[in-house]
Formats: sequence, structure tokens, C-alpha cells
Amino acid sequence: MLFNRSTLLAALASLALAGAALAAPVSYALDATASVVGFETDFGPDRITGQMPVTRADLSLDFAHVARSTVAVTLDASAAVASFPFAAQAMRGPKVLDTAQYPQIGFQSSSVRTEGDGARVDGQVTIRGATRPMVLHATIWRQQGSVATDLSHLVIRLTGAVNRSDFGATGWADMVGDEVRLDIVARIMQVP
Amino acid sequence: MAGWANTPDSFGRTSRLLHWAMALGVLGMLGLGTWVHWMQPNLSNLWLYGLHKTIGLSLLALVLMRLAWHRISPPPAPLGAPQGWEVLAARLAHRTIYVLLLAIPLSGWVASSATGLDVMVFDTWVVPRITPVSELWEKRGFAVHGVLTKLLAALLVVHVAAALRRARAGDGTLRRMIRGRA
Repeated sequence: MLFNRSTLLAALASLALAGAALAAPVSYALDATASVVGFETDFGPDRITGQMPVTRADLSLDFAHVARSTVAVTLDASAAVASFPFAAQAMRGPKVLDTAQYPQIGFQSSSVRTEGDGARVDGQVTIRGATRPMVLHATIWRQQGSVATDLSHLVIRLTGAVNRSDFGATGWADMVGDEVRLDIVARIMQVP
Repeated sequence: MAGWANTPDSFGRTSRLLHWAMALGVLGMLGLGTWVHWMQPNLSNLWLYGLHKTIGLSLLALVLMRLAWHRISPPPAPLGAPQGWEVLAARLAHRTIYVLLLAIPLSGWVASSATGLDVMVFDTWVVPRITPVSELWEKRGFAVHGVLTKLLAALLVVHVAAALRRARAGDGTLRRMIRGRA
């Protein structure tokens, strides 16, 4: 494992020791090449899995006041890949994501709060031009070998699900499941 | 011994091969098409769509070859009284079967093109899209495909029954399509 698991609460505790200087929102930049937006949905008894590149991510994390954190992410749906070619083509086509018209998927957080050893991120997701509420569950890891106060490089895992019918992405509803589960692993680094 | 070409009173090998290859293909496709229509798609049976399209477009190629061949080497005239009702009914049935053998794969191609997914044959080549990507075209195309297929199945029952009836009467029609001569 590259990273030791830490948690927001542990980070918060360690930050208390680090002093007030860090107790403010900190901007992070995404390492897009090392980040993955994974998704999966049901296909009969099987699953279709795939990935989408991240176009842009604006992250501002405040470990002392988690509620002040904000997350905004834009995905390049038009470059989505799936576990078999027809699935990617179907997904990008007019009956599902219609990426010719709507090449991007966007998420903007509206509230962030601690939840267990992670955080709950409520926000609005825009898919196929339709904006709907969405909840993501976040867990944060610190880089392996780093000291507890070193939050310069982090890994965030975000999980959640959407029903594609909520966005009019209803193609092949008789074959492919409605729920699309997301599993995002984002590697981020502090912006100096 | 009949050769490859048709003669005024016999079917050559080419016509017979085309007939029986297509008979096998069409019967197989009626089964495969029905199966594909009703099955729950998953990763292990997804290839059956590709197989259906591959066989369907191959059958379209074969019927075009058959029509071209009949221009080059006309088939023998039907056995029996030229103006008898059986000959007229057979001519109508044969022509309808030919129309369906063209229209069924074409409607499948139209509907598949309209889905926006690549139509692949032999798991290798993508055939050109012949309609716009449209749910209306897709829905109508598949509806037409289904109706025409049922009509073909019904006509094939009549075709086989008529061939067996003639064979029982001993007029040589079926024998001529098997061995070339009546």
C-alpha cells in the first residue's frame, strides 16, 4: 500500500497540534493522471464497469471546519471508456449520456460534514443537462511515510450512486441497470 | 449430371447450393433471432447479437448473389401446367419470399444502425450506418423486422408443405432442387 489510512477526524486532531496556521481552507489541485472516476452498473447477472477522465477539480479542504470545505469536479463524459466497446458507445450515445450534446458531467458540493471516519458531501450533479441532488461519501488517506501533519498529498475516495433515469439517460433500460455506482479515487496535492 | 449452371429443365449446383445454404441459414436465424429477442443479455451471451448480424448480412449477400445468378443463369420453368393455380401460387410465394429475404436483413440493418451502436460482422468489420441514430427509426425498424420475420416463417411453412405435397404426388419438383433433375 502506498498510503497509510488516515481519517478526517484524525487529520483534524493532528491539525489541532499543528496550530492555527493550518486551520483554514486549503486549496488542492488534482493529479488527473493518477485519479480515476470509476463506475459500474448491472448488466443482467454481470456488471458493466468503466472510467471517465476528470477534466477539472477544484478542492478546498478545511480540516478544522470540515463544513467549510468545497468540492467541484468536472468529468469528460465524452471520453468515457467501459469494459466492452459497445457499452462505451451505448453510454456516450444519445440514448444515455448524449455526450455530443452534453460532453461534461459536473458536481458541485453544497455541504460537507463529517460522517463516521470520513465525510458526507452533499451537492448537485449535472448529467445530460439535468441537475439533481447527489450524495458522495468521502474517505481521505495521507501519503505513506508522511508525518501526521503533512497533508500536502492526499488521496480521496468518493463513493455514491445515481439513477440514470433521473437524468433522462434511459437507453437500454431493459438490459442495463438504472443505478450507476461511482467509485472515485482522486490523488490531490496542496496548492502552495 | 447437372453442372454449375441452370438449364431449361434442371437446377445447377450453384442454384441448389444457394437454396440449401440459405434454407439452413434462414431456419437457424429464425431460431437465433427469437432467442436473441427474448434472452436476458449479459456478458456471456452478448456475442449472439454479433452472430445474428453476421449471419443476417451474409444471407443478404447470398440472396443478392442468387438474384444476380438467376439473371446470368435463369432457373428452369416450374413443373406442371403453366397456368395452373399451384404454379401461380408458387410464383407469388417465391417472389414474396425473395422480397422478405431482402427486406428482413435490411430492416435489421436499419434498426441496428439507428441504435447508434456499431454493426459488426465476423467480429471484425464495422458495416456502414444506413440510417440516422434515432429511437423512432430503431423502434420502427425492429417492429418491421419482427413482423416480416413472422410472415416469412409462415410462408416457409407453406413452401415446405407445398414441396412435400408435390414430392408425394411424385412430380419431381423437390427432387429437382436436391439432385438437379426431376
